[in-house]
Amino acid sequence: MKAFDFSLDEGIANLCFDVEDASVNILSFDVLRSLDKKLEELKELEGVKLLKFTSAKEGIFIAGADISDIQGLKDEQCAYDLVREGQRILSKISTLPFPTLAVIDGACLGGGFELALCCDYRLATQNPKTKIGLPEVNLGVLPGFGGTQRLKRLTGLSKALELILAGKILNGKKAEKLGLVDACVPQGYLEFKEKSFIEQILKFPVPKKKRVGSLLDQYLPKLVFYYARKNVMQKTKGKYPAALAILDLFEKTQDKDINAGLEDEARAFSKLSITQTSKNLIGLFYSSEALKKERGVKRRVNPISINIISIIGGGVMGSGIVFLFSKIDKLVRMKLRRYAQAGEAINSISKVYKGFVKRHRLTKNEVENKLAHISYTTGFNGFSQVELSIEAIVENQEAKKELYYELEKVMDDKAIIASNTSSLSISMLSEKMRHPERFIGMHFFNPVARMPLVEIIPGKKTSDKTIATVVALAKEAGKTPIVVGDCAGFLVNRILIPYINESIRMFEEGEDFEKIDKLISDFGMPMGPFVLADEVGLDVGYKVSKVLEEAYGQRMKISGILDKVYHQMQLLGKKAGKGFYLHKGQKREVNEEVKALVFSKRSFDEKEIIDRAILIMVNEAALCLEESIVANAQYLDMAMVMGTGFPPFRGGLLKYADSLGIQSVVVSLQSLSQQQGERFEPAKLLLDMAKNGETFYKEG
Amino acid sequence: MKERIAIIDGLRTPIAKAGGKLKEYQAEKLGAFIVQELVLRVGIDFKDYDEVIMGNVSQPGHAANVARVIALQAGFPDKTIAYTVHRNCASGMESITSAASKIIAGDGEIFLSGGVESMSNVPLMYGEQMTELFAALFRAKSISEKLYTLTQFRPRYLKPIIGLMQGLKDPVSGLMMGSTAEILAQDFGISRKEQDAFALMSHKKAEDSIKAGVFKDEIAPIVYAHSKVMEDDDGVRFGQNMEALGKLRPFFDRKNGTVTAGNSSQISDAAAAVVLMSEKKAKAMGLEPLGYLSHFAYAGLDPKRMGMGPAFATAKLFQKHRLNLKDIDLIEMNEAFAVQALANIRAFESDSYAKKHLNRTKALGRIDESILNVNGGAVAIGHPVGMTGTRLVIHTLKELRRRGKNRGLATLCIGGGQGASLILEVE
Repeated sequence: MKAFDFSLDEGIANLCFDVEDASVNILSFDVLRSLDKKLEELKELEGVKLLKFTSAKEGIFIAGADISDIQGLKDEQCAYDLVREGQRILSKISTLPFPTLAVIDGACLGGGFELALCCDYRLATQNPKTKIGLPEVNLGVLPGFGGTQRLKRLTGLSKALELILAGKILNGKKAEKLGLVDACVPQGYLEFKEKSFIEQILKFPVPKKKRVGSLLDQYLPKLVFYYARKNVMQKTKGKYPAALAILDLFEKTQDKDINAGLEDEARAFSKLSITQTSKNLIGLFYSSEALKKERGVKRRVNPISINIISIIGGGVMGSGIVFLFSKIDKLVRMKLRRYAQAGEAINSISKVYKGFVKRHRLTKNEVENKLAHISYTTGFNGFSQVELSIEAIVENQEAKKELYYELEKVMDDKAIIASNTSSLSISMLSEKMRHPERFIGMHFFNPVARMPLVEIIPGKKTSDKTIATVVALAKEAGKTPIVVGDCAGFLVNRILIPYINESIRMFEEGEDFEKIDKLISDFGMPMGPFVLADEVGLDVGYKVSKVLEEAYGQRMKISGILDKVYHQMQLLGKKAGKGFYLHKGQKREVNEEVKALVFSKRSFDEKEIIDRAILIMVNEAALCLEESIVANAQYLDMAMVMGTGFPPFRGGLLKYADSLGIQSVVVSLQSLSQQQGERFEPAKLLLDMAKNGETFYKEG
Repeated sequence: MKERIAIIDGLRTPIAKAGGKLKEYQAEKLGAFIVQELVLRVGIDFKDYDEVIMGNVSQPGHAANVARVIALQAGFPDKTIAYTVHRNCASGMESITSAASKIIAGDGEIFLSGGVESMSNVPLMYGEQMTELFAALFRAKSISEKLYTLTQFRPRYLKPIIGLMQGLKDPVSGLMMGSTAEILAQDFGISRKEQDAFALMSHKKAEDSIKAGVFKDEIAPIVYAHSKVMEDDDGVRFGQNMEALGKLRPFFDRKNGTVTAGNSSQISDAAAAVVLMSEKKAKAMGLEPLGYLSHFAYAGLDPKRMGMGPAFATAKLFQKHRLNLKDIDLIEMNEAFAVQALANIRAFESDSYAKKHLNRTKALGRIDESILNVNGGAVAIGHPVGMTGTRLVIHTLKELRRRGKNRGLATLCIGGGQGASLILEVE
C-alpha cells in the first residue's frame, strides 16, 4: 500500500501523505512501517537540507492513528510491543541529521499530532478544518506515540495536562497561542509563507525556548497535580480510568528523560488499551461515526434545503428549537398565542447567546444578526414561504390536530410539518391531514441547546423525502438524528419511563428515594431518577407516563405515589421549587412531606435496586429491538447515551446487558418477574439470545 | 405616471418616543425587523425581489448604506441589491417614488421600499477644536510631542455637538426647523392657542384611533428590552388637554415664540416598509394590492419656509395631472409642527397665496378638515424623520379602504425647503 509521495527539490525533501484508496490519512501500522523504511533511506540520503511532512488530502493532515488497531488489542504485552514499535519509528524523525517541519493544513489529531510533535517545527494554517489535539482520552486510552512526553516539553505541565485530560481540539490560532505550533498563517498564504518560514529555518534555526510552562509548573508541580486530580474526580467520579492513568503517568515521568518517559507511556497505554471501558468508548465512537453517515432512508433521495422554519409554541422546547435554528442562520418564525410569549422566548434565547459571547464562541455582531433572523406572530400570517413548521405545543392531540389543519391551509403543499411530541403517535396525529406524507415526528430533548439527540419518527405515510430532509437538517444543526419507530414514547422515553416507574415503586415499597438516587448515580447515570423527575417537571413526567400507561397497560402502570404527589400535593418539581426534593437554587434537600407518604420502611440490597431499575430498561430495549423500533442495538445504545446520559463508560444499555451476560440477565428478570410481577417477564428476544448464547454486540 | 404602481402591502413598527422603548434597536435592526415581517407576510420569496430601497436621514456611521445591512439582516440573499435614499423628511417617500421610477423604466420588477429612523441613536459629536486636537495627537510622533499637544486641551472642547440638533437645522438659512415654523406663525398670524388646539385634536384623534384598534392593521408588534412587547405608538397622550399644553414654554424663541414641544411633532424611533411592483405585474401574479401610487411630485421653495412644502408640491402635482382638491377623498398631511399644518390649510384656500407663490390664478381649495389627518398626525404619533413618508403612504391606503373611498393625498414638508405630494388610490 502506498502511503505517501516523496520528492526532493533543491534540498527540500517533501514527504507528502496521501494514503491510497482512502479519503483521509490514517497512521495505521502499515503506514508507519512504510514510513520507517523511508526514514531509514533518508538518513543516508545526500543533499537534504530539510524534510517537510505535508498532506495531499484536502482538509486533513493526518486524522489520527488507526482506531481499529487499538480496538483489536486484547493482550497487554502485545499492545506494549506494538506501541513501542510506533514510538520507535516516530522517534526516528527527531534524530534525522537535518531539520524537520510539519505543515499542518487540516485535521491533525492523535497519532497525527504525535508525528508532528516529533518534528523540529510545526506550521499550521487558519483553515477552519485545521484541528489540532490529542483526543485519545475520549476513547479510554492515552496518547501512546510520545504525545504525553513531547507535548509537555512544548507547552509546560499544566497546559499539556489540561489539553490531554480534556482531549481538547484546537484551531490553528489557538494552537499557536498555546505553543503547540510555531506559527499559524492564513491558508491562502501558505505557499509563500511556508517558503519564507523554511528559508528562515535554514538561515538561522530558531533557538528553542529554554524554559516552558508557568511558575507553578516549575516550582509547585504537586499543586498542579492536586488540582488536576480534584477536577478529574469531580468530572468523572473516578469512572474513567484513562484520565487517572494520564495523571499518574505525568506524575511518574515528571523528572524522567524522554526515553524513560516513553517507556512508561507505552506501559500505561497498553494497560488502558485492553480495558473494557476503552472498548466501550470506542464502540460508541464507531456508532456515532455510523450515525453521521445515516441519511435516514435506504433509497437515495435528495433532501430539500430548508431556509425558513416556523416553530409553533413558545415554551421551553419551542424557544430551545428557535435558538437552535437561529444559530445556524435560518430564518425562524415563532407562532405564539400571545405576543408577550415572544418576549419571554426572545429573553431566554438572548441569555443563551450571551453565554456564547462570553465564552468567545460568537461575536456580538454575529449574535445580533442571528437574533435579527427571528420573527414572531400570533396568527398564521407569513407562513406561505415557510418550508418547515415544527409544532411544540401542549401534548393534546385535539389541539395538535387542529393546528395541523390550520397549517395545511396556509403552508405550501410541499412544505414539511413536524411535531416535537414526546409521546403521541405520529400516524395517529396525521390521520386527518391532507398531506400526511409531509408529516413527521422530530423529538428534541431538553435543554435543546445542549442535548445532542433528536428522535426522528416517520409515520406510516411519511415520505422518504420528508425523512431525508429532517435528518439532514438536524445534522446541519449539529445534532445526531436517529430514526425510530412510531410507538408510544418512541424509543428513549419508552425505555426511560419504566425505569422511573420502577424506582418510584421501590420508594412506595419503603426504600428511601435519596438512597436510590445515590446508587443510580454511582452506577453512572448523570442523576438519579427522582432528581430527574424533579428536573423534567412532575407535570410533564406524569403526562408522558399516562400516555405510556394507556398504550402499554400494566407493564407501565403509574405508581400510586406519583399520582398523589402530582394530583393531591400538586408538586411540579424543580421549576416550582418543590418535588421529591426541595430546591433552593442549586441546592436540594429531601422533601419530608413526600417521604411521609410512605409509612412502612424497607431496605433493599444494592444489587436488587440496580437490577430493578436498569434491567427493566434492558427488557424494554429488547422489546424495542424485537419490534424494530430502532435499526440496531448500537443506535439504541447511542440514543440512550445521548438522550438520557446513560454512562458512556458502560458502552450503552445493551452493551451493559452483554457485560452481565444475556443468560444472567434472563435469570434475574425471571426471578424479578416471580417476585414483582409480569412487567419483568423477559422479552422473547432475550430468551432466544440466551438460548443461542448470543450477545447484542458481536465482539468486544 | 405612465402606469400605476401597485403597493402590495405595507407594515410598520409602532412608533416609540426617542430614548424610550426602542432605543436598543439601531436603525438597521429596526429596519430588518419590519422588512422581514413584511416579506414573510406578503409571501413573495425573498429571492424574487429585485432591489431594496430604504429611506433614512441620520444614516448611522456603523452601518453605511443602511438599506443593504437591513436587507441582509432581514434574510434577503447576497444577490439582492440595496441602496439608501435621503430626501430629509421625505426619505421614506423617496424610497417609494425611486422604486416607482425604476419600475417604469424597466429597471427591476419587484421592490421592497421603506423608511427607518432611530432618533435615539443619533450620536453626539466632538466639536471642531476637539477633532483638531485628536488629529494633532495622531500626527504627533514622539511622546513629548504628544504631551505638548495634550497641554492645549481645554475642558470646553468636550462640549458635544448634538447630532440630532444638527440634523434638524437647515444648513443654508442656519435656522432650526422649529424656527422656520415660527416664521410661518408670523406670516399667517397663527396664535399659540390655535396651535395648541390643533395639537390637542391630533392627540384626541390618535387616542380614539388607538382605542378603536385602527392602527392594528399596519403595526407589527415588536419585542423590546429583550422581554417586553410594544404593540401601540407610545407618544400619544391620552386625556391631553389645553391646560397641560399651555404650560409648556416656547422652545425655539423663548421670549416671543409660539412653537412648543407640545405643538411640534415628536422625535421618535420606527420603521416601515412596502412591497411595490407594476399594476400589470401584480395582476399577472394574481395579487390583490393594498392600493396604487398613481402620481407624485416634489417641489422646491424657500428653505426658511420649508413648512409650506405641501402647498407647493400639491400645486405642482395638481397642475401637471389636472387634478382638483374635489377629487381627493382623504388627506394625510404630515404635522411637522401644528402651525405648519395650519399654515398650509390657510395657503390652500387662499387665492392671493396661490397667485403670489404657487403660480396659479385660483386657490387650491378649502381643505375639508373632516378628511384631514383623521387618525391624528405626527404631533401625537411622532415623526421618525426617515420613516414618516412610508407611514403616510401605508396609512392613507389602509384608511381609504376602511372608509370605502378611493383616492387620497399624502403630503409632507421637507427640511431644506422642499415638499412632496403623492396621489394614492385603492381601486
